[in-house]
Amino acid sequence: MKLSDIQARCDRVPFFRHLGFSVTEANDSNFVARMPFEQRHIGNPVLDTYHGGIIASFMEAIASLTVLDDQGSPPPKPINLTVDYLRPGLPGTLNTRATVLRKGRRMASVETVAWLEDEGKPVAKGLFHFLLV
Amino acid sequence: MSDTKDAERFAMIASVWNSRAKGLIAEMDLKIERADQKGVQIRMPFNPDFCLDEDGTILHGGVLTALLDSAFGLANFLAIKDVQTMATLDLRVDYLRPASSRADVIVFADCYRQTRHIAFGSGKIWFDTGDCEEVARGSAAFALTRGKGSLLDKMNTGGPGG
Repeated sequence: MKLSDIQARCDRVPFFRHLGFSVTEANDSNFVARMPFEQRHIGNPVLDTYHGGIIASFMEAIASLTVLDDQGSPPPKPINLTVDYLRPGLPGTLNTRATVLRKGRRMASVETVAWLEDEGKPVAKGLFHFLLV
Repeated sequence: MSDTKDAERFAMIASVWNSRAKGLIAEMDLKIERADQKGVQIRMPFNPDFCLDEDGTILHGGVLTALLDSAFGLANFLAIKDVQTMATLDLRVDYLRPASSRADVIVFADCYRQTRHIAFGSGKIWFDTGDCEEVARGSAAFALTRGKGSLLDKMNTGGPGG
């Protein structure tokens, strides 16, 4: 799938527009996206940090893209997720890398990492399961 | 603390939380329906911006996750008297059914165990359609900082960035 096709698909999803990310890399099992900081992403109104749910949603969105077979595939059904919050989600552009761990006929397991400036200092890590049928 | 004082404290926390004017919680337009030591119940109206499709027939799961996370935060402030700040350690969510309804979403969350450093929360989500079938269930753990002057006090007095 071409990057522009993937972005066009994302732009048709209202919630993805709300998050406001753009996909910057899309290999077979490895996607990267960046999301500029917005007021509407704030969780802690005193510290102005990201809402934990926004970080999880961003990671889930990118994870769901990695398991699509092609542009016409319906969105995969999320089964469950686990997110570890490792560092404060300070205001700034947030990046996410999603990597497919295993994709079978019925199920897919995708690992994600989110970071601000240094991928080696992640803000959060996630594990997402999707039903593909 | 007397029951009256508790009730006043709950009402104060709920009012500060309800009146916050920015961020995702403001976007979600949440209304607290119940808030005490035993848990919180919060209502979120349907919002087409949170959907997977342009027709607005199904909510994105991430919104439910965000809703649970928000409710855990409030439940902790109510249940833990001297909490200053808290950080989410981890969050787990099971999506039990497709979120395909335009009805209001209701979340219930409680802090079911607290230690000096850690709080554990659990919650569930359903649509206000009458059948009350659960759409999602979640649990989370939080690292606590206890002391005087909570985050909500800072919000109330318009502290830094507030």
